[in-house]
Amino acid sequence: MSSSDSSSHAAHGQGGAASAHASPWYLAHHFDNIETQNHAVRLGMWLFLGTEVLLFAGLFLGYTVYRWLYHPTFKAAAATLNLYAGAGNTLVLITSSFTVALGYHAIKENKIRKCAGYLAVTIAFALIFLVVKYFEYAHKFHEGQLPGRHYSYEGISLPGANIFYSVYFLATGLHAFHVVVGMSILAWLMFRVMKGKYSSQHYVPVELGALYWHLVDLIWIFLFPLLYLI
Amino acid sequence: MSAQNKGGAHPEAHGIGRYAIVYAALLVFTAVTVVTGKIDLGAANIFIAMAIATTKATLVVLFFMHLWDGGGVNRLVFVVSVLFLVVLIVGVFGDLLTRLPITLPHGGPIEGQPGMAVPHPPAQH
Repeated sequence: MSSSDSSSHAAHGQGGAASAHASPWYLAHHFDNIETQNHAVRLGMWLFLGTEVLLFAGLFLGYTVYRWLYHPTFKAAAATLNLYAGAGNTLVLITSSFTVALGYHAIKENKIRKCAGYLAVTIAFALIFLVVKYFEYAHKFHEGQLPGRHYSYEGISLPGANIFYSVYFLATGLHAFHVVVGMSILAWLMFRVMKGKYSSQHYVPVELGALYWHLVDLIWIFLFPLLYLI
Repeated sequence: MSAQNKGGAHPEAHGIGRYAIVYAALLVFTAVTVVTGKIDLGAANIFIAMAIATTKATLVVLFFMHLWDGGGVNRLVFVVSVLFLVVLIVGVFGDLLTRLPITLPHGGPIEGQPGMAVPHPPAQH
């Protein structure tokens, strides 16, 4: 970056400079240009998503092992889950993925209000997901189908029934936590979109928030058949 | 813009049509998986369900998450993390399947009893 150009030292990130090389406010000083920054930022996000996949990998492994050991029990326990709630939630999340993709597309085309609208709709769908989950959890509390030592459900006499519900709560609980985090990120992005921080020139933050949301959907795409459709 | 293809997406050369098509496909696959999930095909059920889920996931990753558009290194990152997930599961099962049965809980995978207790019918809220 050692340009020995004698003309004005184009200020790194110090807005104000009238030269043609004034860098936009969103360009960090350690990047030469916005393309490089976008490149780095997307890679960083994908690396993070990779770690999220590995995070859930442990729970999927737990499910796989115990399903292998207690197959009939898991079948019976899966039958106690509300298939309509699970399928409905799957449709809700898939639709929310669609709307967040539309929101990302909107900001790329500089359609600020459309983008904010799509983000709002996505957040609304996330809320619906959580409400349905709340009813499912409430039912399980009522029936005693709880993790660990709180298990008191009498309906399945085969060994390992409590393990199914433990895996269920761990996996869907961690997933629901990710839903809440994703909602928060999308809400923050939505407010910044409304404040005019993003545009067709600078939309990568919206892209990254959408990527996180798609991952949340991805995880549920696997959780649903494994837990509800055994 | 020379660096365009390296980092991932670029100004959209396509409209929202592809998102709509992928969304429709996801809905169809969800319906298929629910319907086939209710039919008892024995051991095939889990494979069908996982095949459909993998297809749905691939669609989401390629098109909603833009891996189709560009960014070879991003694709590599994602594929490698999935690979390690597979390694984890395969490795653990390599252990479990080669154990003396007495070292497994209940001596190994349990068999279902024909007259096993009927689970509480799920209350429809």
